[in-house]
Amino acid sequence: MPDLRPEIQYATLAQQGETAQLGMWGFIATETLFFGALIFGYFIYRHAYPVAFAEASKDAIMWCGSVNIGLLLTSSLTMVLAIEAAAAGERSALKLWLAATAALGVIFICVKGLEWYLDYADKVVPAVNFTLKPGEPPQAELFWIFYFIATGFHALHLTIGVTLICYMLLRTRWGDLTPAYYAPLEVVGLYWSFVDTVWIFLYPAIYLAGRS
Amino acid sequence: MTFAVAWLVLLLLTGLSILSAYLHLAVWAPVVQFGVAATQAAIVFIVFMRLRGPASLKWLFAGAGFFWLLFLYGLSMTDYASRRGWP
Amino acid sequence: MVSLAADLETSYLESEHTVASWLFTRDHKRIALLFFASITFFFFIGGFAATLIRLHLATPQGLLQPDIYNRMFAMHGIVMVWFFLIPSIPTTLGNFVLPLAIGAHDLAFPRVNLLSWYIFNLSGLVLLYALFMGGVDTGWTFYTPYSTLFSNGYVIAAALAVFVNGFSSIMTGLNFVVTVHRLRAPGMTWMHLPLFVWGIYTVSLVMLLATPVLAMTVFLVAMERFMRVGIFDPSLGGDPLLFQHMFWFYSHPAVYIMILPAMGVVSELVSCYARKSIFGYTGMAYALISLAILTFFVWGHHMFTAGISIYSGVVFSLMTFFVALPSAVKVFNWTASLHKGRISFDAPMLYALGFVLLFTIGGLTGLMVATLALDVHLQDTYFVIAHFHYIMVGGTVSAFFGGLHYWWPKITGRLYPEMWARFAAILTFVGFNLTFFPQFVLGYLGMPRRYYTYPAQWQSWNVLSSAGASILAFAYILPLGYLAWSLLWGERSGPNPWRATGLEWQTASPPPQYNFARTPTVTVAPYAYDAETDGFTAQNGVTGA
Repeated sequence: MPDLRPEIQYATLAQQGETAQLGMWGFIATETLFFGALIFGYFIYRHAYPVAFAEASKDAIMWCGSVNIGLLLTSSLTMVLAIEAAAAGERSALKLWLAATAALGVIFICVKGLEWYLDYADKVVPAVNFTLKPGEPPQAELFWIFYFIATGFHALHLTIGVTLICYMLLRTRWGDLTPAYYAPLEVVGLYWSFVDTVWIFLYPAIYLAGRS
Repeated sequence: MTFAVAWLVLLLLTGLSILSAYLHLAVWAPVVQFGVAATQAAIVFIVFMRLRGPASLKWLFAGAGFFWLLFLYGLSMTDYASRRGWP
Repeated sequence: MVSLAADLETSYLESEHTVASWLFTRDHKRIALLFFASITFFFFIGGFAATLIRLHLATPQGLLQPDIYNRMFAMHGIVMVWFFLIPSIPTTLGNFVLPLAIGAHDLAFPRVNLLSWYIFNLSGLVLLYALFMGGVDTGWTFYTPYSTLFSNGYVIAAALAVFVNGFSSIMTGLNFVVTVHRLRAPGMTWMHLPLFVWGIYTVSLVMLLATPVLAMTVFLVAMERFMRVGIFDPSLGGDPLLFQHMFWFYSHPAVYIMILPAMGVVSELVSCYARKSIFGYTGMAYALISLAILTFFVWGHHMFTAGISIYSGVVFSLMTFFVALPSAVKVFNWTASLHKGRISFDAPMLYALGFVLLFTIGGLTGLMVATLALDVHLQDTYFVIAHFHYIMVGGTVSAFFGGLHYWWPKITGRLYPEMWARFAAILTFVGFNLTFFPQFVLGYLGMPRRYYTYPAQWQSWNVLSSAGASILAFAYILPLGYLAWSLLWGERSGPNPWRATGLEWQTASPPPQYNFARTPTVTVAPYAYDAETDGFTAQNGVTGA
């Protein structure tokens, strides 16, 4: 049986669970500023060099980004269903939804990896393999720097998220997550959906800037 | 059920965003696209991250990050909107 | 519930003795001491660099190679800012006292607290690597494009150290914010919080909301240098001022990360040693909050002469003047708290009074450099150096030492030798002013910062400053000696040697492992001192005479 006593500094398990969630919300606020600072730089440069950014954005691989936003939005759904299952004590459903979420995350990373490979072949990787397209203004490179840093950090966050979900699967196996206390799962869920939100903002910034 | 509806709405909004990208909206395109993104983010926060319900400390924490970003974006605009020689 | 009773017989120092019990502890009090060891180490590294700088500047010829001199002031800045001043009060005194002062048994996330210490040390190791490989010569500000395109120092390692250090800062801040929100004892309302807790709470907010932006900024610098791509490089269309906007969006609030907890400490000290309630408690709390917010509106004043638009300069200048309002509220209220007090000039009080005076000088000169026209004359001179050292060293370090002496009996259960401590406090004040007041003059005369030499006619002021620095160095080493002495031979203090009202004084010294036998209930506002009768009422309602 799991240990169902709160830690020493808490009066009740409920207080402990809510505090853990509040902590994750605080962390999400810092993450918002972390990615927000990067997107700030993007906006400044895009506003200064609209033509270069539109030209560069045309070379971003539309289907990869679009499939990936679909995958992530769906994974947020499966994640919240996993939490519902945990609250109801349905362990097999919980495992199923968690596994589905992790799988969607892994597929996202695979698509992302393929996209990076295609970008490399397209010679748009600054400092590694970069050639301006004919007639493209040189500031297009700024777009690609932003692209790789943003997607790199996002993929890193997603990898951490997949790891956390696998850990939650393990804890489900151990019987740790019961209807009485499943706050760790809720905390991971918050993190997961936040990483999803980051992609929601990166998607138009990267893929939609120069389509028309 | 709520979750499934929210998911459908999110996908539809993505479609709207993609559509807007091909519509020659000029300066309005980023406005529409980032407006859609903000709406989607709000849906994810409120439904999937369970912010709905009475105002609480969570709201404050969740909002603080975005609110503070406004300071960075807004006050730096005093420079970028009026600096001579930029871009 | 874990059984409390079993752990209440022994103090947190005596509960276990193995090395592992320290390295894997989850007790906020032990983690505070771990942090204390780390930041003391870095304080002396940064101090060593400062000593070399002042020795070098005693003569116009100097004794270091110009390149070595550059590396010294850069390392001094980086170490002192991120590895001493920012963590100083929050991670040590804050970590130790905060849960005690709000009547909690520990912080909200004890494991995160420990992790924060490990991450801090990891970043410290990365920085030491950069230092031993040859250091950096960019100054602590990492300004582009120098740092990314031209510098031949170990910029990437140093930037990485700052990046990693930020996570420690964020974790500690997050822990404190959540703890203050969720773990206050019954009856400990927001308006009953001691001002030290307010100081730690507001500084934690600033840490949370500013540090991520710095993390991204220094990461971009490291990327630009590592990949040789131009994120801020004008030749590629990048904007060096974008770096400065992002850097100062963090680094101006960083100054408030240093000063807000110091203000909290000083409020405790002034009230306790004047035996008076703090004058205008509500105003003091709101002043802290408004400083924590205003600090995000003023970063552009570091860039007046860097090429931002004049309209932007006017906005940032105006915003900066607003900072004077809450700062003045604090200074006036500390002063008013002394009125008709029963003042005793013990060492912590000497540090606190020194803080008030030096902070006032630092603040008023801040208004001078916030003025657009005057800043053209003063920017990048020793005037600015003197100004921010009055805030950071005269302010924060004084408050840190004051708080350290004040809570020393609580931390160790021993009293420090009062006469030695008073001597050190006075010596600090004298040495500090002798070091930095001449720099106001030098700056006004036009001596630029970061130059390794200067015209001969400025030597007398520089000699004064270097002489002051050696006094200051001695005054900082002194406490190390007598505080260590007191650990073995100091008089036992008892739970409440200063007859103070905070909850932390209502438990044993040193406190037991989980702080309190049972969670205290708060019935009284903080600082219920009575100067007339010399009595006091602790926050849990216990009266003392």
